[in-house]
Amino acid sequence: MEIKTVKHPQYTTVIPVGDIDANSSVDLDQAVGELLEGGESNIHISCKEVPYISSAGLGVFISKLDEITALEGDLVLSGMRENVFEAFNLLGLHQLVRIFENEVDVEKYFSQE
Amino acid sequence: MKSYLRVRCNKKFLATIRDFVKEKLADMNINGRVSHQIVLAVDEACANCMIHQHQCDNLSTLEISIYKEGDTLYTEIKDPGKAFPMHTYQPEQLQEIIKKRAKGGLGISLIHKIMDEIQVKQESNYSLYRLGKKLEA
Repeated sequence: MEIKTVKHPQYTTVIPVGDIDANSSVDLDQAVGELLEGGESNIHISCKEVPYISSAGLGVFISKLDEITALEGDLVLSGMRENVFEAFNLLGLHQLVRIFENEVDVEKYFSQE
Repeated sequence: MKSYLRVRCNKKFLATIRDFVKEKLADMNINGRVSHQIVLAVDEACANCMIHQHQCDNLSTLEISIYKEGDTLYTEIKDPGKAFPMHTYQPEQLQEIIKKRAKGGLGISLIHKIMDEIQVKQESNYSLYRLGKKLEA
């Protein structure tokens, strides 16, 4: 899957494009993993170009949560479509990660940290 | 009337399965949130069969069918492999999954949360997963 990354002073935005399922989640896992290995610990995943997510995609976020917390970093998401939020909601995952409506709110959040 | 789709056990065909389920549900005037939930549950069940029962063996196939019976929408997955007891499987708690940094274990939870009926049958040369979702009038 196509994944764009944009570096900001306080955080890095990851923008996956397309469905995140058992097939494509491997790419997202790798992209986030490489950022963490490179010393980034504040990660923002923009979901604005993700029409669908399955448990494999949710699993990527869960598998990185502990690692990011250990690095005293933060994992936040934004721009979720209704279908994508539904998957988070069904598992209660929306209570574990910060979800913002848009990128402006993400920028404000990291600027205040 | 049942609609069928047969696909190889290759994860790249999960998108084909989702499109098929979505299209057949739309034909039955099932759209929106319910449609998305059913698509998600079928995707999870098929991914589970492909990955864990067939190790993504491109020579194996899954057959997916959809039909309505009374007020319930059924999807069936016919799998030539050994049955996985997804109807009785107890997934780990979310906190445990996070602790272990696991990537798996969530799909079966989603199926249980979405579907009202989960039946698994082991026949002599295939297994059959029947997932039912009650539709509101």
